[in-house]
Formats: sequence, structure tokens, C-alpha cells
Amino acid sequence: MRVVDIWKSYEDLEVLKGVSFELGEGEVKVVFGPSGSGKSTMLRCINMLNPPDKGEIFLRGQNINSSEVNINEMRARIGMVFQNFNLFAHLKAIDNVSIGLRRVKKFPKEEARAKALESLKSVKMEEWADHYPAELSGGQQQRVGIARALAMKPDVILFDEPTSALDPELIGEVLQVMLDIAKSGTTMIVVTHEMGFARAVASEMIFLGEGVIIERGTPEHFFVSPESERVKSFLQQLDILYGSHEKLLK
Amino acid sequence: MILQRPNPLRDLFIVLGYWDHIFSGYLLTMWLYGWALLMGFFFGLLLANLRQYGGRFLSRIATGYIEFIRGTPLLAQLLFIYFLPSSLNIPVGNWKIETSFTLLNKDITIILLNYRTLAGLITLGLNSSAYQAEYIRGAIASVGTEQLMAAQSLGMSRISSIRYVVLPQALRRVIPAWSNEAAYLPKYTVVVYFIGVKDLFSKAHLTVAFTFISVTTYVLVAIIFLVTITIISKILDIVHKRTMIPGL
Repeated sequence: MRVVDIWKSYEDLEVLKGVSFELGEGEVKVVFGPSGSGKSTMLRCINMLNPPDKGEIFLRGQNINSSEVNINEMRARIGMVFQNFNLFAHLKAIDNVSIGLRRVKKFPKEEARAKALESLKSVKMEEWADHYPAELSGGQQQRVGIARALAMKPDVILFDEPTSALDPELIGEVLQVMLDIAKSGTTMIVVTHEMGFARAVASEMIFLGEGVIIERGTPEHFFVSPESERVKSFLQQLDILYGSHEKLLK
Repeated sequence: MILQRPNPLRDLFIVLGYWDHIFSGYLLTMWLYGWALLMGFFFGLLLANLRQYGGRFLSRIATGYIEFIRGTPLLAQLLFIYFLPSSLNIPVGNWKIETSFTLLNKDITIILLNYRTLAGLITLGLNSSAYQAEYIRGAIASVGTEQLMAAQSLGMSRISSIRYVVLPQALRRVIPAWSNEAAYLPKYTVVVYFIGVKDLFSKAHLTVAFTFISVTTYVLVAIIFLVTITIISKILDIVHKRTMIPGL
């Protein structure tokens, strides 16, 4: 996947000012930065929920935002996990996962159900298959959200701050699932401030500030020798909140 | 001159002697109500979707229609539709579809459809659709764009996202507000009396003309409406509880 120079503004406010990066098969890219820096907007540009004003996005060589491409087919190849889970409230966990298989991939009912159950198993939610979202904890809902994205077997999954709406004790179960799928070779772009997760699986980290990439590098680079003052002070803020990142390096 | 002392009970028995008229009028009123509500629902659903998702042009048309209907008197709408064909020199014909049956030795005939009834039905349906559209639109808006976004992120088209994700939730949520329309509409059907449809109200009027007993007759009609609407509200209450999403 290749993202080339995307720009996006809302009325007078320029949110993205030329962001580019590449993402190889099986890579995990972690994007972090202060709020308002355009992280979520960037993800929404990538799957065209908020199409960029300028710039191009290539998925396996295909230009996503060209007019000849069926955007629905493209979105089916780009999974998305939301900060607020956004599970379909009227559907059981299993139907949340199978709806895409049925309505987009046109699988017959039974086959869609079997595949959905498989997907729920991979996030350890198969026992909750017949529960409605409102009957599940936040962590469980987010795992169903991940299963919903996984079931479509997308080329890449975008995670938009998947744990920031969760109570601290529920974050662990979601991160564990994300670690599992990252290690099994899923290509991911993850917007998160979970530095432990980033250290464990990120192939590259991107620090986004005011719509541009301020610094990029491996987790070791960021935790040992970040260059810009902006990044240093941001990481210090995280330290104050979550404890020192040096501990994470052990 | 000897004034008879008022005797409501005797009056009631006299009025009830015309029960076959009142009953046939009631059936016609409920017939009108049922179809108008159904027509209003489907047309209202369409209007709500056009207003919410139709883009600038279509949503303006839908909004204009809704505001026009809600801002003009129902009776004026009825007379407009009723007189429209003849003012354009379109013959309306003298056709009718009726049904009759015998109940307790009384022959009861109901005109299910003729020009007058059709004009009444169309007016009530079009009128109700504007109100129902607003209730439904409110429910659609309350489901929120995030659900739509999540569906689209799976690759579902906009239309199937609305069809399979937004509407199933919106139609559940709309029931309590929509009950208002379901409870108002039976009472509004009485306007068809003005164009000579033999509904409950016009049959009550007929009974008064026969018996000269007015207050008792109209109180009886009021009680019939009250009981009917109470039952409708109760049923919708049950439907609302049955269709609630577990855990919400």
C-alpha cells in the first residue's frame, strides 16, 4: 500500500498537509501524535470515508481514488476498527461479523455464519456470538469490531484509536488480540498511544503533528533517541500518564 | 306545553337502535384509517429518506412538500383533491366497490371505494405521510452517521447500508413517536364527512337527524374513538417492547 501526498481540509482548517508513506505486506505501522494532528482524518482518507482533497492512495498498485474504481469493492479490502466500536446495535455479535460477508461478498447464510464464527474465535468471542452489542463490555465490543474487520479478509486493517474509549482494565484484552493478529501477518495501520503495543509489533512509527509527518522511525529510534523537541515532549507527556517508556523497552 | 324530563338511558337505547348504521360507519372509518396509515407510512418513509439522504435537490423537494402539508389545513387539502378533477374537466365517474353482510338480522352495506372515498383516502394518506416522514427522519438522524460509516467501511453500498443497518434501527426507535400519528389519524378521518363519505361521524349525524338525540349520540361516538385509540396505543406499546434491542 502506498499513500502519496494526501491533503485534506475542512472549510478553512487544513487538517492534512501532504502525508506520504508506504506499507509493505504484513507490516504494522503505528501512527501517533497530539489530538487534532489529523490521525483519524488520515485513516478516513485512506478508505475514502472522507475522500482527500488531493493526493493518491494505491492498494496493490490500484489507485483507490480514481473514478474508475468501485469504491465499495475497495473498502471491502480495507478493514476499519473504530474508536467507539460502532457495532451495529440491532445485530447480535455473530451477525455484526457476518453482515459484510452476506451483503458484500454475497456468501450464502450458512457459509457466512461459519466464517463469522471462525473470525469470532480468533478474537476469543465465540461464546458471546448470540449477544447484542449493548450486552457486551467495551473490550468485548471492540473485539467483535476487530472480528468484523477480519472476517472480510482485507488487505489492510485500519485501527482508529481502538483502545482510547476503553476502561484501563479492558485495554489489555483488546491489545492482546491486536498483538495476535499482527503476529499472524495482518497488515495494519494503527493510530494509538499504546507505546507498549508499538514497541512490540510496529515496523515503523510515524509521529504526526499539525497535518505533517514530523518524525518517523523504528520504535527503538523513538524510545532511545527521538530527534525533534516536539516528539520528545510528547513522549514525556505519555510517560507522565502511563509510566516511563524505558520500562516498556525491557 | 309539557317538557319531557331528560332521560339519558332511554336516549341511549333509542340511539343504539341505529347500531347497524353506527357500526357500518365505524368499519368504514377504520378502513380509511388503516389504508391511510399504511400509505402514509410508505410514502413517509420515502420522504424521510429523500430529506435525509437525497442530496440538495431531492431533499429540498421533500422538505417543501412536508412543510406545505404541515402548514395547511387538512380540510383545505381534502377539498382541493376532491374538486381538482372536476375543475380540470376530468370525469370522476359513478363507480363503487361495496361489500355487504347480514349481522343480527340487519343488512349492512359498506362502500369500500368510490370517488369520494378515494379522494378521502388519498388526502389522508398524503397528509399523514408528511407527519410520519418527520418522525421517521428524526429516528434516522438519531441512529447517527457512525453506523452508516461502519457499514460503508465494510464495503456495503450507501443504499444497502441504509437498508440493512440504519433503517432497522430507526424503525424500532420511531415507534413511540410514531404512536402519536397512529393515535391522531383516526380522529382526523372525520373530515371525509364534508365530502359525503359515510364514515362513523356522518352516520352519527344521520342518527341525530333520525332521533333528534344529539348529545348522547356524539358522546357515544366519542367513547368509540376513545376505546379504539386506547387499544391502538396499547398495541403499539407492546410492539415497541417486543422489538426493543436487548441490552439497550
